[in-house]
This record gives sequence, structure tokens and C-alpha cells, in this order.
Amino acid sequence: MAGGGRRREAPQAPGCAAFSGPVRHVYVHVPFCRAKCDYCDFASAAVGDAPDGALLDGFVAGVAAEWERERAPHGVRRLSTLYLGGGTPSLLGPDRLERLLDLFRPFLTPAAEITVEANPEDVDAAFAAWAGAAPVGGGDGTTRGLRVSLGAQSFAPGLREALGRRTLADPAATFQRLRAAGVANLSLDLIHGIPGQTAAGLEADIAAVLDLRPAHISWYELSLAAGTPLAARTGGSRDEDAGADFYRRVVQALCRAGYDWYEVSNFALPGRKARHNLAYWRARPYVGLGPGAVSTVGARRWTNLADPAAWASALAAGALPPREVEDLGATTRARERLLLAARCGDPVPLAEVATILDFDAAGPLAAAGLVSLHGGTIRVTRKGRYVAGAVCVRLFRD
Amino acid sequence: MSAAGRPPRPQPVSLAVVTSLDHIRNFSIIAHIDHGKSTLADRVLEVTGTVAARDMKEQLLDKMDLERERGITIKSQAVRIAYTARDGQVYQLNLIDTPGHVDFTYEVSRSLAACEGAVLLVDCTQGVEAQTVANAYLALDNDLEIIPVLNKIDLPASNVPEAELELHELTGATHDEILVVSAKTGEGVDDVLEAVVARTPPPEGDPAAPARALIFDSEYDQYRGVIAYVRVVDGSFSRREVVKMMGTDQEAEIEELGYFGPEMKPTERLETGEVGYIITGVKDVAQVRVGDTITDKRRPATEGLPGYKVVQPMVFTGLFPTEGDKFEELRDALEKLKLNDAALMYDPESSNALGFGFRCGFLGLLHMDIVRERLEREYGLELLTTMPNVEYHAYLTDGSMTVVRNPAQMPDATHIDRVEEPFVAASILVPTEFVGTIMELCQGRRADFVDMKYLSPQRVEMHYRLPLGEIVLDFFDQLKTRTRGYASLDYEFHGYRASDLVKLDILLAGDPVDALSLIVPRERAHLRGKALVTKLRQKIPRQMFEVAVQAAIGSRVVARETVKAMRKDVIAKCYGGDISRKRKLLEKQKKGKKRMKQIGTIEVPQEAFLAVLELDPDDKDH
Repeated sequence: MAGGGRRREAPQAPGCAAFSGPVRHVYVHVPFCRAKCDYCDFASAAVGDAPDGALLDGFVAGVAAEWERERAPHGVRRLSTLYLGGGTPSLLGPDRLERLLDLFRPFLTPAAEITVEANPEDVDAAFAAWAGAAPVGGGDGTTRGLRVSLGAQSFAPGLREALGRRTLADPAATFQRLRAAGVANLSLDLIHGIPGQTAAGLEADIAAVLDLRPAHISWYELSLAAGTPLAARTGGSRDEDAGADFYRRVVQALCRAGYDWYEVSNFALPGRKARHNLAYWRARPYVGLGPGAVSTVGARRWTNLADPAAWASALAAGALPPREVEDLGATTRARERLLLAARCGDPVPLAEVATILDFDAAGPLAAAGLVSLHGGTIRVTRKGRYVAGAVCVRLFRD
Repeated sequence: MSAAGRPPRPQPVSLAVVTSLDHIRNFSIIAHIDHGKSTLADRVLEVTGTVAARDMKEQLLDKMDLERERGITIKSQAVRIAYTARDGQVYQLNLIDTPGHVDFTYEVSRSLAACEGAVLLVDCTQGVEAQTVANAYLALDNDLEIIPVLNKIDLPASNVPEAELELHELTGATHDEILVVSAKTGEGVDDVLEAVVARTPPPEGDPAAPARALIFDSEYDQYRGVIAYVRVVDGSFSRREVVKMMGTDQEAEIEELGYFGPEMKPTERLETGEVGYIITGVKDVAQVRVGDTITDKRRPATEGLPGYKVVQPMVFTGLFPTEGDKFEELRDALEKLKLNDAALMYDPESSNALGFGFRCGFLGLLHMDIVRERLEREYGLELLTTMPNVEYHAYLTDGSMTVVRNPAQMPDATHIDRVEEPFVAASILVPTEFVGTIMELCQGRRADFVDMKYLSPQRVEMHYRLPLGEIVLDFFDQLKTRTRGYASLDYEFHGYRASDLVKLDILLAGDPVDALSLIVPRERAHLRGKALVTKLRQKIPRQMFEVAVQAAIGSRVVARETVKAMRKDVIAKCYGGDISRKRKLLEKQKKGKKRMKQIGTIEVPQEAFLAVLELDPDDKDH
């Protein structure tokens, strides 16, 4: 219960367990990209191909300052996961990434998972060498390889162009370069439903992915977020059946190839689930650093404003960056608990969500095999996962 | 509102002084809908200075927001005007504004009984239309002097000679008797007022006889009770006098009386021939019935004035609150509306699918629309409306008769000897080129041709006997569509006739949904059933499970479609940065779900209950 003052509810119901406990997960948002992709609605600033070094150094200094300020209030002693996302973290280059990692090294557990997102155009020999060799182990001297999440999106250059990605770098070659450099825990980001993508085109991407056999795959349906150039170009909607066909085909192909469909859009080989992301889906508390980053600890969620300059100057002046704060009531947290667990098919003890659950709606959903009510828990089944949004809408009580 | 060249506004003349009978003129403006009646009334109020320029607004006599928005008159209004005629004398004109739509013909007929003259207004870009004819006949039935006026002469599309010819055919008026005006610019409006003075007979009546006044309309005010709109026929009334309603024997003291100017203006007396209002403090509208006669209690008249027949609702629909707990609120709201709307009828109804609501009776579809909109707007209710239908009479084999105002009430087919449905006498006015189109349309609607006559070489009036159910379905829309808006329709109830009708039930996931049942001609039942399930399949969004949509006559299923199960409905990305946003999205969808009606486990959007209205009535698309 950070931030006291106006406490809105008694801290009692088991439903409040969401996002409580010690903070063991940190996310760093790197808000820079070379150029903005046409489908992106994330907080990122386009800085071109030769970004200003002082800007990037300032960013690292800012993260250091924000981390210093946030660590003590939340009593962070150990970190199980660290995730450098963006934006384009790889754009920082090995030296700055190393400096960033240094900030957290003293807190990382021996088995900590450290992920860096990378774009193919940044993965040059130097980056690959750093990623393959980066000593990221804990204080006891053990080491564990860096996890790299590579934004491939599609293996078809035409479709990448349709997304407005300006890179010519071949995702497959980049992937191989990282793997050759010693990065074993590699994840590929892909998108289906790109305008112009045919069923045959999807099969080609599936074949290309399985050919590389990454440890982990995130495969998203393209979401045409309002206000993005791509949404404007395509009119912002797509046939429901076509989207469902592609989605179901991806799930089927990857599961057949031995991947575990452990979240709506995520697939992993055994032992390779993204533990940082699992923390979100299990409603564990997390702290986000950097412009636009979101943190949730207990009943409090705060979001740094997206403007990198305002963020950096506040921290340089010894103040907290400007943020928006949201108080999460018991109902909100219980709803989030359910909607997040639904994505992974995790069973949720009924006691945690009893106050927000429409039990009348649960019966027919269970009869239809979309949820499973068992042993005092409610769980969205694999069949229900395809329609997890609709399932949650029905499970929520008014 | 000020057009160039208009004469300066006259100073208002006081109406406080008593006007002698021969200086009173009571008249109405009657017209087909949209022919400019309210605009002419506005202009009359303006040029006579009845309403100050700063208070002038469009459709001044239409008090309801709904009337202004839709540009229609729903409720009659009366206003007293002082007019200094060209002979230099001041006349008291009582103008009664009337509705133009066929649903409200009864309002027109009531108002006309309070008048001696009627301005028959015709849009000369359109010519004579169905309600022009109907209203002209109403005026003749009431022995009124008709003053034919062509309006909208300022418009480029105006065709005065053609419209004049039609008016001549209709009323026998000569070229000199037909006035031309533009209510919009004010041109010719003075001539209309002069004609009203010169041609409308002054009221007949005996100032010395026992007092009698006709209640031609009423309004309910929650503080003051019933406000009776009256036309004094004989004698006079004054404040504090004790009066008696001759029909109900209700006695009461007059608390206030006066005239409309156009606001209520209290006076001491209402004299023979005058139009005004009387407030007695009686709260019960049933005791102050429209059509009744008010007389002096101490010196009562022996005979009441001829009243009106009570209007009967012709179209019925179920109104259900979308939120179950709003039933009482809906009842209160209907009760209040009923106070000012004698034609509105409502009875509690329950439905397996929709819960508790009311089966309501209306004069027609426009009336239904207006009541529903007022309930939503003025009372903040969200309503679900079922398919409108007419009142059927089912004669059973045991000789008894059941009134069926809700298809779900139709008795079992095995007990039915015959079913009768209401027919109307319809008159359709249309340019001659569309005669074939009309015949084709009517043939497809089980209509019997009666006759047709030419109003002019270009326009013809066709008469049919037509099941009212067809009009309720979509006859009017089709008429307008197929004649590019040139046809107009008027109708009146004609009588009940036996038809071969069956009840068509709709089943969702095997269960009949009472609110979707309808009564259809047997020979169309199959095609209608097919079309309806197809339409429902389109209207009902994908569900969590597959749902069969079936149409059945009795136990025989005649059509089936399937609403498919949802295959994908999940947000692709959800990480630490967007949990709030994604949760809010789901919460918003949850709110949206409230607009759906839950029938068992099936979510049915409200529009689905009116799906049948969207069917191709010729059953061609399925």
C-alpha cells in the first residue's frame, strides 16, 4: 500500500492479493527508435540512424537516478527478472546497455532472467558479441545467458514494408548471428494479419520460424490501433473470420512443433517461458523505469509521462519524474487478476475473485467448455483462450 | 424572421373588452403534413402582433420539443388574435392549430367542431394530397366554410395552376376564391386574414340561453389539474361559477378561465362564441372528458352538445424497460402521458423473454414513435419495443371470441374457427404515372381495389380496402419509396374481415421467444419465416456458443439458421504497460452488453425485436 493518504478500502479481502508482496521485477523503457513504425502506438521518439550520444547517455543516467529513488521505498532487495524494452533498447549499443545492466547487477538473483529487445538493424557483430558474452549472473558468480527478443514481425520483406518498418536487415540472418554468438535464449516477435498477408504468406512465415526454432515465440495479431498511420491506411478493421483463421493456424502449427501455448500470443519450448511477462500475467508487483513506463505495486499504479525530456530533467534536478497515479480498488485488482490469468489459463482461487464474478454467467461458459470450475478455482480453458476477452466480459459482474 | 418589404408590425390591440358575436371568427388551418401549416400560424401571430418580435420563434404553437424537432404538430393549440381588418374594425380571431398526420385525424375533427371556418392550405409544389382531401371532407362534415389557400408560391418548383385545378376539383372553389401565399415570406398572409373575416360566418349561439361549452381538448397540469379547452356555444361562463359536466355529472367551481394569447391569459368571463380554457381544479381527467359539454349548475342546459366518438387504438406493441427494475417507473410515466393523450392505452404484460412491461395501444406508427420517444426523453427510460401489430379477433370453435393484441396470445390453432383482422378504407393520391406501381403494391398486400378517380389529368385518387396489418408493416414506406415520395395516403378504419392467418413462432436454441412471434397470412408464412430467421441471424452477434434460430408454425419448423460461435475475441498484447487500458476496454464492453437482452444464455440486441420490419415485404430476399 504505497502512497497512503487517501485509502479507499479496508485492506482485507483476499482479492487484494493482486500486485502485493515484494517487488522482484523491473522493467526499463527505452523510449527511442530510429524511426516510428506505422502500426506503433507505444511511447517512443524517433531519433534517426545516428542518435545523439548525449541524449542516450542522459537516458542511462536518468534510469540510474530513478532506480535509486524507487528502490528504497519499495524495499527491493532481489530481482528475479529485468526487462529492457522499448522503443528500441538495442539502439543504445553494447556500452550503454552494459552500464544499464550494471545498475541492477547487485540485485539480480542467480537465476534471474534478463531480456533485451532488439531490432534486426541494430544487431551488428559488436552487439551480437556483447549479447552472447554478457555476464549477467548474480552475486554468487553464477552466470546465465542474456535473453534477447528479436523483432522480426515477418520474414517477407514486402509485409515488413507494409508495416512501415524501414529496415532491410534479414531477421533470419540476424537471428543466426545472435545464436552463433552464443545467445541461446532467443525469442522472435512476429505479427500476423498484416495487410496483404495471404494464407500462403502465413505458412511461409510459420515455416521460416520453425526452421529457426527459437526458444520462444510471440506471435501477435496486428492490432490497428486508432491514430496510427497503418490504421488510417487500412480503414482500421478486418474480417473476424480471417483473423480467427490465421490465429488458430498459428497456434496449431506451433503447438504441433512442440511449443507450449502458454499465453494468448506467446509460445515457448520447455523451460523457456518469458518469466518477466509471466509476472505481469500473475499480477505480481513490478516497477517500471523510464519515460512512459508503468509500475504497479499493491493498490497503486503509476505511469511516467512519455516525454523523455521532462522525465530526464526532473530526475537530473533530483525530483521524481512527472507521473499519473491510479489507485486500484479491490474490484479493479480482482478484475485484472482474472483478465490476466485468463490469458494464460491459470486457475484463480474463487476467493480472490468472488466479489467480481458473475456466477450465473460462469455456468453456461463452463458447460460450453470455455472455463473450468474445479477445486475452488476458475480457469479459462484453451478453448476459451481464443475468446478470453468475451469470456471475461461475461464473467465480470455489473 | 424579418423579410424585406413586410409592413411595420401593428401595435397589439387589447382583447380585454368584450367583443360582440359578429366580430368573432373561429377558424382552423388544415393541411397535409409539411404543407406549411405551422409556418402560416407563426406568420399570422407575427403580422397581427399577437406575439412580440422578441418572443417569436418557429413553430410557436408547437410547445413540445419533439414537435419542433420533427417539424410536426402533435397536439392542437388555440390562440386568440386581435385583428384590425381593412374595414377598420377589430375582430377577435380564434385560431386552432391542428396536426396534419393521419394518426391524429381525431384531433383535427375535434378542433373543427369548435370552428366555423377552415383555411385549407395546400403546398403548391406538391398539390392536393391524401390528408388534404381527408381534412377537407372533415371540414365539410362539420359544415365549415373552407378558404382554400395555396402556399409556398416563393419556391421555384411551385405550380399554382395545377394545384389550383386540383383544389377546384376538391372544393369547387373558383380562381378568385383561391388565395396564394408564401407563409415563409409573409406574402399574401393579410389576404388570408381578410378572407377569414369576410367569409367565415360569425358564431351562432344564444347569449341568453343556458350556458353550454364544448370541451374540444384538454391538458393536464400537475399543479392545477385538468385544463379544459372550450368553445362557448351558448351563454357565458365566469370565474367562481359552479359548473357541471353533463356527461359525467361532475360538478366544480371555475377557479380560472381565460383565453390563449398564446400563453394562458385569465379573464373574468368567456362569452358566447369565444374559445378559451376553463380550470376547475378537478384532477381526474376522466371527469373532464374531451367531447363533453360544460353547463351552468344553477341554470343547466337540457341537452348536451354532440360529442365525439371515443378514439380506439389501432396499433399495439410491447414496451419493456431494458432494465428490469424500471417497470414501476414505466407505469408512472405512461400514467402521466395518458393524462394528455386520451388515445394512449396500456395494459401490463409479461414475457418470458423480456420480463415485465406493457402492451400499449396507439393510433398509428407515428403516435407509437412519439410516445416511445417521449418516454425515453422526458422520463429517462430505456425501452425495448416489440414488433407492432394490429388487434386480431380469434373466433373459437366453441363460439367465443378472443381479442388478440399480442401474437403470443393467439389461441391454439386447433381451437380456432376463424381469425378476423381490421381492414381500412385507404385513399391514395398519386400522379397518374404511378397507377400501375400502386396497383402492383396493393396486390401484394392483400388489398381490394374499390375505385379510382381523376383529380386532374395528372393526378388520381385510388381507393382500396387494405388490412391495417400491412400498413403497420411497411406499406407507407413502400408507397413513398416506389413513387419517389409523390404518393400520399389517408385511411380510416373500415371493419373486421376474416383472413387466413397463422402464428409464426421464433425459437432460439430450441426455445420459443414469445416477443418475436408474429401473425402472418398463411400463404406467406414459409417465406416470411425464412426471411425472418435470416435477418435474425444477421442481427444477433456471434455468441459464445452456436445458436439455432428457427421459425415454426405450431410444432412444424419451417426455417432454420445458425448464429455461429465466436472464434476469436481477445486482445493480442497485454503487458505491464497496458493492463489498465485493457481492463477499461473490457469494462466498456461490459457496459455495452447492457443494451443486449439476455434470453436464457443468448444475448439478443434490441434491434432484433424489430427485425421483421426490415424484411422485404414481398418476401423476395431470403
